[in-house]
Order: sequence, then C-alpha cells, then structure tokens
Amino acid sequence: MSLPLDGVRVLDLAQVYAGPTATRLLADLGADVIKIEGLKRMDITRNFVMPENDSSDDYWNKSGYFLLRNGGKRSLTLDFSEESGGAGIEIVKKLAAHCDIVVESFTPHVMHKLGIDYEALKQIRPDVIMISLSGYGQNGPWRDFSAYGMGLEPASGISSLTGYEGGDPLRTGISFTDPYSGIVGAGAVLAALVYRRRTGKGQYIDLSEQEAAIPVTGYATMDYAMNKRAPKRMGNRSLWQAPQGVYRCAGEDNWLAVTIRDDEEWTAFAKAVGHSEWGSDPRFADVKGRFANHDEIDALMEGWTSTRDHIEAMHELQAAGVLAAAVLNPKQVLLDPHLKERGFFDRVQTVQKDERLIPHQIGAKFSEFEPNTARRAPKLGEHNREILGGLLGMGEDEIAKLEENKVIGDEPISAVPLPVMRMFVQWPLTSYLNMGALGGIEKDYREQLGIAQEKTEGEAK
Amino acid sequence: MPELALDGIRVVDLSQGIAGPYATKLLADLGAEVIKVEPPSGDYTRQLGPFPGDVPDPDKSGLFIHLNGNKKSVTLDIESEDGRAALAKLIGTADVFVESETPSRMADLDLHYNDLKAAYPDLVYASVTPFGQTGPYAKYKGNSLAAMALSGLMYITGDPDKAPLVTGGEPAEYFGALHAWVSILAALEHRGQHGGGQHVDVSWLEALGSADEYNTPMYSYLGAIRKRFYSRHHIPTFPSEIYPCRDGHIVVIGGATGFPLLMAILLEQPELEDNPLFQNLWLRTIEWKEFEAILRPYLMDHDWVDLLTRAQELRVPFAAVLNPETLLGNEHLQERGYFAEIEQPGVGKLPMSGNLFRMSETPLRHGPAPALGEQNADIVSEAAR
Repeated sequence: MSLPLDGVRVLDLAQVYAGPTATRLLADLGADVIKIEGLKRMDITRNFVMPENDSSDDYWNKSGYFLLRNGGKRSLTLDFSEESGGAGIEIVKKLAAHCDIVVESFTPHVMHKLGIDYEALKQIRPDVIMISLSGYGQNGPWRDFSAYGMGLEPASGISSLTGYEGGDPLRTGISFTDPYSGIVGAGAVLAALVYRRRTGKGQYIDLSEQEAAIPVTGYATMDYAMNKRAPKRMGNRSLWQAPQGVYRCAGEDNWLAVTIRDDEEWTAFAKAVGHSEWGSDPRFADVKGRFANHDEIDALMEGWTSTRDHIEAMHELQAAGVLAAAVLNPKQVLLDPHLKERGFFDRVQTVQKDERLIPHQIGAKFSEFEPNTARRAPKLGEHNREILGGLLGMGEDEIAKLEENKVIGDEPISAVPLPVMRMFVQWPLTSYLNMGALGGIEKDYREQLGIAQEKTEGEAK
Repeated sequence: MPELALDGIRVVDLSQGIAGPYATKLLADLGAEVIKVEPPSGDYTRQLGPFPGDVPDPDKSGLFIHLNGNKKSVTLDIESEDGRAALAKLIGTADVFVESETPSRMADLDLHYNDLKAAYPDLVYASVTPFGQTGPYAKYKGNSLAAMALSGLMYITGDPDKAPLVTGGEPAEYFGALHAWVSILAALEHRGQHGGGQHVDVSWLEALGSADEYNTPMYSYLGAIRKRFYSRHHIPTFPSEIYPCRDGHIVVIGGATGFPLLMAILLEQPELEDNPLFQNLWLRTIEWKEFEAILRPYLMDHDWVDLLTRAQELRVPFAAVLNPETLLGNEHLQERGYFAEIEQPGVGKLPMSGNLFRMSETPLRHGPAPALGEQNADIVSEAAR
C-alpha cells in the first residue's frame, strides 16, 4: 500500500515525548525514521512502564511508554560527547546527506555547538527540512530555560482555566503540551514538505512547546484583550450551556459527564429520567434559569445518576437525545466497544514476543491508505549495523572500532550503577495503591484484554 | 511578499465550531485560500462571544475571530436545492473540503464523499466529528467534555476525593483540529506523491485519546489502573506540581538534577540536603504530605518571578503559571512576537494567537476574520463565470 511519506527519511535526534510524537506520526505515514540515542544519553522514557513492573534483564528494550512514541522507528546509537572524539558527529553529518527531515529537541544552541545546526546541515543537504522543538523557542529571554513537559501546560495558560471552583490551577493528568506540540510539529513538517514538493526548497522551523498550545486559551485570551476580564476556574461547568457537569454514578468511582445544550435537550433529559416536572418547571425553562439554579439542578441530576451505572446511563441518555458520556478509566477505554470497532487499539507484538494493546497516534482514518501503526519500538542500537553498514556503506572494521570505543552499542551506560537504575525503573505499585493513586491492580489483565501471554519457546525466562 | 507554504491550495470549509474551523485556520495561516461556507445565520461560534463590552454581534465574537482569521465567508442555505447545487459547484473548485455535520447528514444531502469522488477524483474530503463516521457512538452527541470523559484523560485529571475534572479551553476540539490539519496535509502529500484524493475521517475522541501518555499502557503492560491523584504523574517525577506562592502560582519541578542539593539551596535551607525526603525519590513520592509541609510555607513567602528566576539559574525546571493577562504581557512571548496584532473591522486591534511556529522560508500570515457573507458577491460572480 502506498503511504504519503514513502521514500522520505527522517533523522530523529529528539527525545522524551513531544519530538518523538512528531516523528512517530511521520513514521506512521510512511517515513523511514532513524532515531538517534547515546549510550550515555538513552531516551529516558525507556525507563517507564515495564511489563509486569519487572526491571530485570534488558529492561530498556521493553518499555510501554517508549513504544507508544517510538513504534516503527529504527534505532542508531551514537555518542556526541567530547571523549568520543567527534566520531558520532561525523556520522550524523554523513547521515544528513540521506535525510529529508531533521528533528531535534535539544536546548537552543546545542546543535550549533555540535556543529550540526541548520546552516551546517544545509551545506550537506540543501533541501533539508529541519525542525527544532524546544520548550520556549530559539530566542527570547526564556529560551535557555530548562523545560519539562509538566511545566509547559501551565506556561501556555491552559492550567489557569483548569481547576475546581475557587481552587488552584491544575494540570491535566498527562503532560498535555507534549503530545499537543508534537502534532503541531508534524503538521509544520508536512506543510514544509508540500512547499518543497512545489519549489524544491527546504527550510528551518522553530517550534516552542509553550507557544504551540496557547491557542487553546483563545476564548479567554480574547476576553481579556477585549474586556480585561480574567477567566474563572469553574470545575466542569460550561461558559455557554447549563447544566453541565460530571455526576456521581452507582458503583466505585463511576461518573457521567452531561451537557444540556438547549431547552429541548433539557425537556428530553427530564422525560428520560422520569421527572417530566423538571422539564416544565419555569425556573429551569431557559439557559438563564438553569445557570441561576445550577446547584439545585446538579443535586437533582445526581439523585438520578447515583442510581445508575455510568456506561448504561450514557446509552440511556444518548438514546433520548441527551449529550452524555461515561468517564472511562484506562481499562474501560481499552474495552470500549466504539474504539474497538474503530480499530483504535493495535495489537502489537513486542520485543519480548508478547502482545500489548497500543492506541493509535493519529486520530483519523483514511480511505486510500492505512497508517503503518502496529509496530513495536526498536531495541537500543538495534539497527546500528544495518544503517552504518547499509545506508552509509561503512566496513566491518570501522563498525567494530566504533563498538570498541562505545560510540555505538546496545547497552546503556548510566551515570548511576545499573542496579540502582533498576530500582528506579520498578515502581512501588502497592504504595501507589495504598495512597489512593491507583484504582486497582489486576493480575488477570491479559485475560480481560484478550492478549497473548506466552513468550515463544526458547525465549521464556 | 514572501511565498507561503500552501500557496495555490483552495479549501472549502462547511465546518462549524472549533475543531473544523481551527484546522482550516491553520491551513489559511499557511497560505491556503479558505472559503468558509456558513448557513445564513452564521457559524454558531459567532454567537458565543466574548464580545467587546458584552454587546452581542455576530461579526465581533472573539472566539469566532480567533478561529477564522484569513478566511473568506459566503453564506449558503444547504437546506435548499439551489444552495446544495452551489456548494457542490464550489467544492468542485477546491483541493480540500471540510465538514463537521453529524454522520449520515452529508449523505442525506447527496454531498457525501462517495457522491463527489467520481466527479472530483483529486478532492481531499475531511469529516471532523466528535466520534468519527463509524462505530456505535458515531451519531452520539458530543463535545469536548464528552470526548475527554471517554478518552480516559478525565479519569486521571483532578483530585481523588472529587469528581474527575475537564481541562479548560475545550481541548478535545483543539486536538481534533490538529489531527484534522495533519491528516489533510498528509492526504495532500499522498496526492502529490501518488495521485488522487480521498476521504479523511477525523475523530476528536481518537485525537485526544492518542495523547494517552501511559494510561492504557499501565493496564496493558502491568494491570494497574491509573487514577486521578491531584493530576499527579505515576512516572517518578514528584514534585511536578502547581503550588500557590505569595503573588500567584508556580510550577515546582525538581527534574533530573534538582534533588537533594539544588532544591535545598533554592529553599534557603541547606540542611534539607540531608533530609531523606530530599534524598529519596520514592519516599518523597509516598510521603508527599510531609514533603509539602516543608515546601509550601517557603513558597507562600516568595513571588513567582523570583522563584522561577532562581530555580532556572540553577537549571532546575520550575515554570510559570500564566493566565490571559500574563500571557499577553509576557516579555518572552513579546520578544518572540508570538501574538500578532490584527485590525479587526468594527473591533479594532486584537492580539491574534499567532505565530504557532516560525518557518524560515514561508512565514505564517495573520489577518482578520470575515464578516458573515463578506465575500458573497465575489464568490457568486466567480461561480457565474
């Protein structure tokens, strides 16, 4: 099957979450993505989410977190540190000649210092498209800030709109701006490819993760610009429609999100829950009245939802023409019949030859091609020989020397001893459960998901 | 005038709301000609405000302006046969068509992709809806709240003793927009490389669901169900939290190198370097209340700029908690030229959000949003030619 990026090659120097999201999208769309990691600078996400929480053996090849953002890529290890004598940089320069796109997420100036900034790479590959994904962009007083994804959702302004009424700002439970800016980065590269197809010209793209997500605050920012009015945090309520909320349902920690968008939906809701009198109550007849009596309506609604299963209540209300959605926990998301029918989860065979369900990274289906999504992530350095020997035509002696000098390899060289790292990679799940930070730990999760458990013969421990 | 990345691309956009319009706004900023087809009453975001002085006016809605800069507006009544015929003709001039109707509605109007592809084989036709074109929830009513609930992201956002919390700003619509934009560009590249258009079926739910950092993997890899706990991470990063300080809020992140020494220096209590809560990550994560009992009083005695500046001098990745006022006044964003000033007729100067990224050869463009039906005469006379 033909894919949009057939024949496009990407040199991927990005790590962690935002940059790898961008290059994962490009890989899914058909690009050959070569991910560069250092043995001393392995992608840190190889340490997160181990099968069975087991950090033994070559755990760095088994991470679930890493797989999500790096499935389908090829792995090449290189060392950029000074003690390697620049061999890694020379290889990057050779590789750049074969690459249409270069993606990097270093702090600004690192690429320049390494001698592989856009000006240098353009000499090697005149039509190269290069994108820098950084926390705060390549210039401005905050450019050199150390930036973690968890800080950038608040810095983009989104957290000022998120929180319980009267409470502090809150982040989303994920590093929201990382995937958000990663997708923006993929789009910027695609736009540059469209331009290159037309003109033959490459270019340089400077993407700041903070900036990319600011448009989500568009309404509030315009309100401030027009009226000098600061937004209020209002829990799950809406600016425009009432009632809106997340209501407690029967069972443990089950919730239903409901929005009544107009008078007709309010009447339909009242009828569906057997309280037609709410629909005819003049105090609730229009949106103004429903805003004024929001607390009272919430109590009435929760009186009904608290007797219902959240998923059944969603179907019941939707059948009556009311906008309702169950708050699914991660397990329920994996088992959701709609996402299942849409094929949202791929059954991926991992390095350790078992199966895991992995969500798509593109929220779209295409009539003329299917993104190449159901692929495992590469082991550290898995494609060293293939890329150096094949693509670059290096001889066996040369490659062996790189191995000897630890420029390439397949085991991380950690600043802390490996046994200490293994303690950090294995998570205190029981403590998490006792704290209340986990909703449960289920040993039979494979049966519940219907995924294969056994390793193939000869590979079992 | 510089070249624009999407010069020569024409988009006809029937979508309303945030997701579809923001996707085509990104195309317009990149240089595509976007013809927004509105019902005679206008895109419903024209009613949502905010309005200058809170006086409703469909041509002055801040949200509408934010989402529709650089576009042309024509009104067509697709309830009428003439309106549908005019739309079909307009679509015939386009590289890209975008719609956000409830699935099956376009088929009822004889304007589904399958009705058009024989006549317009090179057309990229994108449908942008909450749950996609197929599957049991395809016709369910949806909004950002519902998509966030079903994606699993709401379950892990908020406090454990309170209801799960939605992220502000309608994030599922914006995620849907980005995935629609990327998918349209991918389909254009597919057409460029292999020829032919296609139908792109975008689901906000799947767009937001793809932002699943490690929620479903924690179940699919080890049977653990992530749950909201003050929106805190389960990956070992505590603290990475927003805390109140003397004059607002600050994001306290220790990062890879902050503990124990640099955080002790920052809090001006050198003895904390030897405190087990500073030395042991897991202990700090589990005994988080004891850790916060040390941290919070210090923060309440200091201002966020001071905390941010001193932390960053030590390369500890604290971050600011900005809001609309401090975003618009932020010196970093100002020096970067993030907000682009536009002149919106009838409103005056407004800061458009803005330079989403900088392209060295093909800069983004910024312009006002159209009045309802502003280009009716132009487009009608073009159609008559």
